[in-house]
Amino acid sequence: MSETVITVGDRHIREVHREIQAAAEQGGHIVLKDARSRHNLGVALPAGANLHFEGSVGYYCGGLNNGATITVERNAGWGVGEAMASGDITVGGYAGMSCGASMLGGVVHVKGDAGPRCGVAMKGGDIIVEGKIGYLSGFMAHAGRIIALGGADDACADSLWGGEVWVAGPIKSLGVDSKAIEPRPDEVASIEELLRSRGINDASRDWKKIVSGEKLWHFESRDANAWLMI
Amino acid sequence: MCGIAGRILSASGNVGADLVDLMEAQRHRGADSTGFAVYGPPVDEGYIVRAMGLDRDALSADLESFLEIAREHGSDFLADPTWDNASTKHVSVRMRIKDPKDLGAFTRAADTISARLAVQSVGRSLEIIKDLGGAEDVSQKHNVRDMKGTHGLGHARLATESDVSPTASHPFWARPFADVAIVHNGQITDYFTWRDKLERAGYRFMTGNDSELIAVWISDQMSKGLTKEQALKKSITSIDGVFTYLISDTEGMGFAKDKFAMKPLVTVERNGELAAATEEQAVRKIYQGEVDIINYDGPSMMNSWLVDPVRQAA
Repeated sequence: MSETVITVGDRHIREVHREIQAAAEQGGHIVLKDARSRHNLGVALPAGANLHFEGSVGYYCGGLNNGATITVERNAGWGVGEAMASGDITVGGYAGMSCGASMLGGVVHVKGDAGPRCGVAMKGGDIIVEGKIGYLSGFMAHAGRIIALGGADDACADSLWGGEVWVAGPIKSLGVDSKAIEPRPDEVASIEELLRSRGINDASRDWKKIVSGEKLWHFESRDANAWLMI
Repeated sequence: MCGIAGRILSASGNVGADLVDLMEAQRHRGADSTGFAVYGPPVDEGYIVRAMGLDRDALSADLESFLEIAREHGSDFLADPTWDNASTKHVSVRMRIKDPKDLGAFTRAADTISARLAVQSVGRSLEIIKDLGGAEDVSQKHNVRDMKGTHGLGHARLATESDVSPTASHPFWARPFADVAIVHNGQITDYFTWRDKLERAGYRFMTGNDSELIAVWISDQMSKGLTKEQALKKSITSIDGVFTYLISDTEGMGFAKDKFAMKPLVTVERNGELAAATEEQAVRKIYQGEVDIINYDGPSMMNSWLVDPVRQAA
């Protein structure tokens, strides 16, 4: 399989984009060097595109993804995979704030920790975090799954509308209108199967499944005090 | 949206150039105005005053008034003031003055002519330079790239809460504390409540910029005997809004961040050096190769860094 090497450096990001798009059209593996934590790299790529970033990337890497497979060697900044429809993104290290924000489908797999508001407003797909998910993760998510192997910070699944947050390890605190329930064995089996498919073989954990408390579905202003954080 | 930056060098060097690079890389976060707080070699005697004249044509008369106030407070010019030679109506002035008897009283008196000549910083080492436009524009006008020193702050402003003007730009001096400056990214939501309280306590606000509140609030806390670190910590639960701000003095700098964790800060901390910025790609203008980045992403965080920790510990 052919391999195209593209160097990012301090070139205009539009120029880098054109090269990525052209290489994706030709097919084959695309390696990006010297990314310098630049923003908006590898966005809106089609199915079949296959990218690897050496080092770290900045904001919105793999955003609006339409089926591409993207790997990042080290860290990703704010909003990795934001609003992606489908595809597969793997971050080798830490994923910054709002990882997988508003994503509709596909998989974001973070090997390190994820920052605050992981999976904020997500509408589908799976976010797998091998480390810990940050403050307010799953905030106002509608559908999809966030799966964290290393625990969760404060206000986990705050104002969760729908979807599921799966946490193994300590949950510092739950956010408003979310509840932790014991998952059914078949649900656990499906999570562990997904993790095994990602190369996480010791997937067996003491899982907590967090779902919506469904009270915010019928918000009444007289209950406002129950939702205020301050 | 704004962008902030901080830089500490392990020894005095091209801190101005690094700050311009850090801010030019964040130009897209706001280029209404850009400002710098640079800590240069400390003066042996007196203070460095940075001020902005609001009418270039009236500058000599305004400097006359300033000098009169200075003399009333036991101060004087130690050298002839210098200023930029641009064609803008506002003009950035640098003065060297003898120690006034009481810096607080002198500052209050000097602030009575702030509509003509606004004091932007007073310090043994600190110089605040701010103006309209992006980092390179401000740097070229005021030679920021050539400024030497140990550390400093930078700010790129996208005005969201108040007017765009050269004086309402960051950094803000925590008047009247010599050498203390802040830069802020965010919005202060209880600005008017706090401003009212602080004005009743005798503080004067020079602009309508909500970020100025942080500088005045810090001054008030320091007047009450709090250290920079104690004030940083207290601000997290005392001030309402979205903020990540940096505060600096001659010893170093620190940051505090609100409980909503909205505004990022990333740093590279190594070999007695610090590069801090809103965005990681900015610090990587300084450290281009792969380097360990610290993300201060969580809620209610603070930290501080010293210039030359070896010397500080001694």
